[in-house]
Amino acid sequence: MQNMANSKVGFFLFFALLVGHGIVELEASHHVFKNLQTVQSTASTNQPYRTGYHFQPPRNWINGLMVYKGLYHLFYQYNPKGAVWGNIVWAHSTSKDLVNWTPHDPAIYPSQPSDINGCWSGSATLLPGGKPAIIYTGIDTKNSQVQNLATPKNLSDPYLREWIKSPKNPLMQPTSQNQINASSFRDPTTAWLGPDKKWRVIIGSKINRQGLAILYKSKDFVNWVQAQTPLHSAKDTGMWECPDFFPVSVSGQNGVDTSLTGPSVKHVFKVSLDDTKHEYYTIGSYDNVKDIYKPDKGSVESDSGLRYDYGKFYASKTFLDSVKNRRILWGWINESSSVADDIKKGWAGVHVIPRKLWLAKSGKQLTQWPVAEIEKLRANHVSLSSKLLKGGSVIKVPGVTAAQADVDISFEISDFKKAEVLKPSWTNPQLLCSQKGASVKGSLGPFGLLVLASKDLKENTAVFFRIFKGQNKYVVLMCSDQSRSSLNQDNDKTTYGAFLDVDPLRQLSLRSLIDHSIVESFGGGGKACITARVYPNLAINNAAHLYIFNNGSEAVKIAKLNAWSMKTAKVN
Amino acid sequence: MTKTIFLVILQAVISFTCLPVSYSASDLIETTCKQTPFFDLCVSTLQADPRSSSADVAGLAHIAADSVNAKATATLNQITGLLKSAGDPNLLKALQGCVDKYNAIIQADIPVAIEAIVKGNPKFAVSSATDAANEAQNCENSFANPPNSPITDSNKAVHDLSTVLESIASLLL
Repeated sequence: MQNMANSKVGFFLFFALLVGHGIVELEASHHVFKNLQTVQSTASTNQPYRTGYHFQPPRNWINGLMVYKGLYHLFYQYNPKGAVWGNIVWAHSTSKDLVNWTPHDPAIYPSQPSDINGCWSGSATLLPGGKPAIIYTGIDTKNSQVQNLATPKNLSDPYLREWIKSPKNPLMQPTSQNQINASSFRDPTTAWLGPDKKWRVIIGSKINRQGLAILYKSKDFVNWVQAQTPLHSAKDTGMWECPDFFPVSVSGQNGVDTSLTGPSVKHVFKVSLDDTKHEYYTIGSYDNVKDIYKPDKGSVESDSGLRYDYGKFYASKTFLDSVKNRRILWGWINESSSVADDIKKGWAGVHVIPRKLWLAKSGKQLTQWPVAEIEKLRANHVSLSSKLLKGGSVIKVPGVTAAQADVDISFEISDFKKAEVLKPSWTNPQLLCSQKGASVKGSLGPFGLLVLASKDLKENTAVFFRIFKGQNKYVVLMCSDQSRSSLNQDNDKTTYGAFLDVDPLRQLSLRSLIDHSIVESFGGGGKACITARVYPNLAINNAAHLYIFNNGSEAVKIAKLNAWSMKTAKVN
Repeated sequence: MTKTIFLVILQAVISFTCLPVSYSASDLIETTCKQTPFFDLCVSTLQADPRSSSADVAGLAHIAADSVNAKATATLNQITGLLKSAGDPNLLKALQGCVDKYNAIIQADIPVAIEAIVKGNPKFAVSSATDAANEAQNCENSFANPPNSPITDSNKAVHDLSTVLESIASLLL
C-alpha cells in the first residue's frame, strides 16, 4: 500500500527538523539575549569561513531542516537574534534545484499556549490531496514538550509562506495517565500509512536510559492515539532525538514512498543520540500489523553502530524526492569553533550538501552521494590519470580554487603484502585515526588529500586511507585529520575516522567537497562519509592549496584524479 | 499510671520506628557532586545557594550555571580593570581577547545553558558548559608568558565551575 497523493503542481515531500527551541515573540526584550544585539552589530566583515555553496543563513544559528517539496522547501531551526541556540523559529527557504535557495519569512514561531516557549523540531507529511501538514514539538506554558499540528494557510501559494496552527493543539502530550516524561518527548517524524488506513508517527523519548520511539496512530491526522508498544526501543542508549523511519528499495538506487512495505523493501531506523551527539541507524524489517520494527541480526544499537556520517553531523532527516525518485538526506553541521569566535563572525551552523541515499549491494549498510545537481557548480576542470604516487611524496593540484572545490580521486593498490597488521583491539576507528594521524608514517598509507592547506603545509586538513591486514581480509581505515587544520588553538580539532567496507579492494575512491570551513568527504563511493569543520588562519581563499600525499613506505597509483573549482551558489 | 507510661513509651517507640526516611538535600548534592571531577568545589558551591535545599538535579544544574555566571562576571570586571593599566602590547592583546571570551560565557553560554535546562534539552547545556570551560582555558593560554597571566586563579575557577556544570547537565541527558 502506498500512495502519498501526487499532484502535478505541488508534490510535496517533507522531511525533517531538528532540535531546537524558541522563545516568546521576538520582542521579548527582557529575555536574556538582549545583550547579544550589541555583540551582533560588530560582527566581522572579514569572513573567510563562510561557505560558497553549502546552505547557511546570512546570520545566526541554524540547526535543522525540514524539506518539503515540489518546489524544494527547506524549513530549519533559526535564531534571528544571535549566533547561538535560542529564540528558535522555523525559518524557510525554497529551491528549484537543491543548490540555489530563496529565503522567505519564518513559517512557524511561538503563538499558542502549546508552543509559547518554543517551536522545536518536527516533520512534514504529504496528506492525500497534496496537502502538507507539519507536526512539531512545542514547548508549552509549563515548559513541557508537546506535539502540535500546523497546515498551510494558502495552498495556492507555491511558496507556502504562511502556516496556521490547529486550535486543537497540542495533539499529543505527556499526561499522568501515559506517564510520558515531559522533558523527553520530541521530534515527531514524517507519518506513514498502515494497511488499516491509519497514519502512524513516532516521537523520540526515553525511560531512564532506554531510548524509545513512542508510536501514535490517527485516522484523521488530528486525533492521535498512543499505541500499546513503542515502534522500537533499545537499552542504554539514552534519549532518542530526531528519529527517522523509512523504507529503502532492496535493489537499485531509487527512493520509495514512506508508506511502502513488502518484499521489495527493507526498513531503516535511525536516531540521533542525545548523549553522544552522534547518530546511528539499523536496517531491518517492519511488521506493519503489529507495528514493530526489528533490526536485522548483527545490528549494533549504540554509539558504535552504523552512522550516516562519522564526523560532525547531527539532527539529520531524509525525505522522498518523488520528482526524481530518490531519497535525500539532510544533516546539520555545527561549528567546531569557540562561541566567542561564532559571535565575532556573527553566525553558526551550516548544512551538508544534500545526499542521495540508498541501500548498498551488500544490504548491510546505506550508501550516500551528493546530489548530482551540485555538479553544475563545477568549473576549471583539472585531471590526472595513471600516476604513481611514491612513498613520502606530495603532489600539488593546481588550477582550482582550493578553498571552494570538488575533488574526486581514486587510488589503485596492487601489492598488499606490506600492509600493517590490524591489532584485534583496534576496533574504534576514531581512536585509531587520532593515534595514527597523517603525520604518522605507515606502510600502505596514509595516502590521500591535503585540503585547505597552507603553502608550507603548516596548516592542512588531511583526508586519507590506511590499509591493514585483518583477520581474513584487508581492512580500510578512512580518516579526516583536523589536528593541523589551524594555528588557532581555540578550535575543536578532533580527528574523525571510519572503517570502509570495500570488497574487492582494487580501487579506493575518495571525494571531498571543500568549502572554506567545511570538508565533506566520501570514501568508497559514499560507503563511509566524514564531515569536518576547520578554520585555518593561513589557508584561506587564495592562500589555500590542494595536495595529494602519500606518507606510507609503499607507492600507490593514482588511477584518476578530477578536481574542479566550485562556483558560488545563491544560498540566501 | 503504669498503663499511661506504657502507652507513652509505646507511642514514642512507634513514632521513632515509623519516622519516614527523609532523602535529605545534602544526599542529592553529594551523589550529584560525586559525578563531577571537582567534588569539594561542587558541594561548597551548591550548598552556598539556599535554593539547593529543595532542588532536583535540574535545579542543581541551574544553580551551577548561576555560579559560573557570577564568577565569570567577576572575572570580566577584573579583566577590564587590568586593561586600564596594561602597557605591554602582548598583555593588552591577551586581555582584550579574554574580554571577548568572557562575554561569550556571560552573554551566550550561560543563558543558553539555563534555557536548555529549564526546557529539557540538556545537550545544549552540556555544550555551553564545555564551551565556557574552553573559553576560560583559551583565555589563560593566550598570555604569552611573558607576561604571565594575571588572572590564573580566576580562569581556573571559571574553568572548574564550568566543568562541574557540564557534569551535572550530563546527568540530565
